[in-house]
Amino acid sequence: MEGAPKLVADGLSVRFDGTAAIEGVQLRIEAGEFVSIVGPSGCGKSTLFNILSGLLVPSSGRVSIDGEDVTGSTGHVGYMFQKDLLLPWRTVVGNIVLGAALTRGVSDRDEAEARQLAARYGLGGFLDHYPHALSGGMRQRVALMRTLAVHTDVLLLDEPFGALDSQTRLEMQRWLLEVWDELDRTVLFVTHDVDEAVFLADRVLVMSPRPGTIAADIPVPVPRPRDLDTLTSAPFMDVKRQVLGLLYREGGEAA
Amino acid sequence: MSWRRLGRWLTPVAAVLGVFVLWGLIVRVFHVEPYVVPSPQDALAALVDHWDVLAPLTRVTVQETVIGFAVGALVGFALAVVMSRWSLVQRVVYPVLVGSQAIPIVAVAVPIVLVFGYGLLPKVVITAFIVFFPVVVNVLDGFASVDRDLLNLARIMHGGRTRVLLHIEMPATLTPLFSALKLGATYAVTGAVLGEWAGTKEYGLGNFLLIQQSRLATDTVYATVLLLTAIGVTMFLLVMAAERLATPWRTRSTARRWRRRTAPMRDDVGTGEGGRP
Repeated sequence: MEGAPKLVADGLSVRFDGTAAIEGVQLRIEAGEFVSIVGPSGCGKSTLFNILSGLLVPSSGRVSIDGEDVTGSTGHVGYMFQKDLLLPWRTVVGNIVLGAALTRGVSDRDEAEARQLAARYGLGGFLDHYPHALSGGMRQRVALMRTLAVHTDVLLLDEPFGALDSQTRLEMQRWLLEVWDELDRTVLFVTHDVDEAVFLADRVLVMSPRPGTIAADIPVPVPRPRDLDTLTSAPFMDVKRQVLGLLYREGGEAA
Repeated sequence: MSWRRLGRWLTPVAAVLGVFVLWGLIVRVFHVEPYVVPSPQDALAALVDHWDVLAPLTRVTVQETVIGFAVGALVGFALAVVMSRWSLVQRVVYPVLVGSQAIPIVAVAVPIVLVFGYGLLPKVVITAFIVFFPVVVNVLDGFASVDRDLLNLARIMHGGRTRVLLHIEMPATLTPLFSALKLGATYAVTGAVLGEWAGTKEYGLGNFLLIQQSRLATDTVYATVLLLTAIGVTMFLLVMAAERLATPWRTRSTARRWRRRTAPMRDDVGTGEGGRP
């Protein structure tokens, strides 16, 4: 953990009509780190992501990326939702280059890059397919490629696999680790699934119930690369136990 | 062409033929006088007999219908885009539009001719007036159907307003737009005929219809009605074909070859497999 942090959130608070949604959230994320965020429903995870992405201006506090204040301004992070939000009228490649289409227009280079990305990460046979012809898992792959193609260092993934069945989900998690390992991005990953949070991350942040704060910061000393065996290994179980304890003991009414 | 596909094409043709057969049967079984309802054979014979007269009249009516339809569609779409951009415009204009549709078009056809003269213009105005309303309503629904999270995603990506309109919002209006255009395609002929009835210097099928009616030449009246119907059906089919071309993702699983932009692939990066499965 040397050098300046990639993303810093300092004392973020948001109040909607007088009630606090999140209160004094502090984040310090290093470049290339993978950090999961778990917490009970309604703890303000989405609110936090809305602030980090610049969609929402916090009542107080600030967000900086590479030391630059980006509070309330968009275009600095990549964002992926639980819904894939693919445009039905664009092909796989067309969806991947959406970021370019919405900002400066799609160049041949964007297109070539999208084809390479897609082909490299398991979409090679579907480059010219429309999204309706793809399975849920494939669609989320395209959504992640679309997020990657925007070339932001920080990726916010908001329960991206939440709508998938458990088998596909595990497959997608392993796939995501492969992509992350090769592309060197900084990832913040919100999930309800403790297994998923621990399996993927370097650290797990546990949020408290409303008003949301970061209640605990748990390192995950599980060696990489991680695979199926990881899920039953002792260090994994150890961290999982800690996170579950924090989630279910503290809040009372938990996820 | 497979049997399945052939069957899909033949079914509507058979259905139309069935209507003609039923019509013929009713006329025969109930001994309907030919000046009340002619048999389909008589109507078709009248169509052939009067073709020399009917052809130029058809050209006039088709012209009015097509131009009126196009103007109505364009005005309706443009209006919907403007209304979707500025909610104040929408709140002011929408009730006026609804009110305008409550006006009985038959009642104002003559006043419209008085304003716009006896040429092509009043027919176009009347037809466009009928066609534009469903377009406005449907396209506005299309704009409203865009997922809020999609617009948020566009904001996160720092998308420009015009580009978001072009790439995300406009395409979402295509399906409802075509629903409205299919309705409009069949209504449009009615507009043209009404316009002709309200007064004209150049006769169309509508005028011919009235003249034949006054002569009790019922077979010719039916022949004209068949022609007018054919215009509407043809318009409908053309809109349907345009829809298939404009919204290929609804009927196909991959993009058409000519739509694909093939970008140069470099060999040094990954597996550049651009083909299909």
